Amino acid sequence: MNEPTSVQPRSPLEDRSRALFNDSVEGLDFAVRSRLTQARHAAVEAAAAAERRPRWFSRAGILAPAGVTAAAILGAVLWLGSPLGHHAVTVADGQPNLDDLEMVASTDEGAGDALDMLQDDIEFYDWADKAANSGSAT
Amino acid sequence: MPPFDTLNPTWMVWDNPAPAREEAVLEYTRELEKFLAEIERRAFRMAQVALRDPDDAMDVVQDTMLKLARNYASKPSNEWRPLFYRILENGIRDLQRRRAVRKRVMTWLPGAKEDPDNEAQDPLESVADASPAIPEVLMRDQAMVQLEDSLRSLPARQREAFMLRNFEGLDVAETASAMGCSEGSVKTHYSRAVHTLREKLGEVW
Repeated sequence: MNEPTSVQPRSPLEDRSRALFNDSVEGLDFAVRSRLTQARHAAVEAAAAAERRPRWFSRAGILAPAGVTAAAILGAVLWLGSPLGHHAVTVADGQPNLDDLEMVASTDEGAGDALDMLQDDIEFYDWADKAANSGSAT
Repeated sequence: MPPFDTLNPTWMVWDNPAPAREEAVLEYTRELEKFLAEIERRAFRMAQVALRDPDDAMDVVQDTMLKLARNYASKPSNEWRPLFYRILENGIRDLQRRRAVRKRVMTWLPGAKEDPDNEAQDPLESVADASPAIPEVLMRDQAMVQLEDSLRSLPARQREAFMLRNFEGLDVAETASAMGCSEGSVKTHYSRAVHTLREKLGEVW
């Protein structure tokens, strides 16, 4: 037991109170001593169990979330690298493949009719343009 | 591939650690047990002085032992004492706080005016002991009761400083570590505690 290393000499009050406290510690009954001994044994067992546990086991609390995060990142990379993921990205970017567009255009009958109509009206637009020019010249 | 018998399987077996490590564990649990055996009764008395109730004191000491063993036993053994008392004082403070809250709640509740901690005393306890007691012992017990009452009336930090420095013999640095404050604060708390105790007990002692 360490002695207080105070520079000042100890007062009678300090000495007497300490002696009284020590006496009261010595006077503890058997039941209290027994319970303290049981508590001590439980604590020592707990310390031994904690020390015998493998080192990595105590770090599992940190490693488990790290593992879940790593798995999530790997999953995201695999998903984005897959053909399905790639297709999804191009459509989302608004840049569909031209082959796909041609296929749609070729099978759309309405689109073909519109092109034919545009070809028929070319003569009309040509005449209107000339008439406007001649009118403005006169 | 190496033959199977050249592999060292000890790292794979959980319940059979290497002998050297097992020896180290035994050594350090022995040291821990010795430390706890030295300190447990004094710690119990300190907790009892602060809390009055022996069961509460026992609970706090048990918790303190377990916390030290589980979380801090791997620290150097010369650090155990201040750590132990720091855990103990935190436990005492937590319990006192819980008691204060419970007391406040109980005063609000209708028909629950009595504090469960202050239960009616057993009348047999107040009956004088029939065995012939030595006057010195009686006087000593009485003085201890007065000392405990005076210590309980001190502010918590002063009581902690006085008990750790005077009863446990911790030096200023260890007491500061146990109380989680500066060495200057320890000196101030201790000096005030001695002054107040002298005022309270001076007439009696």
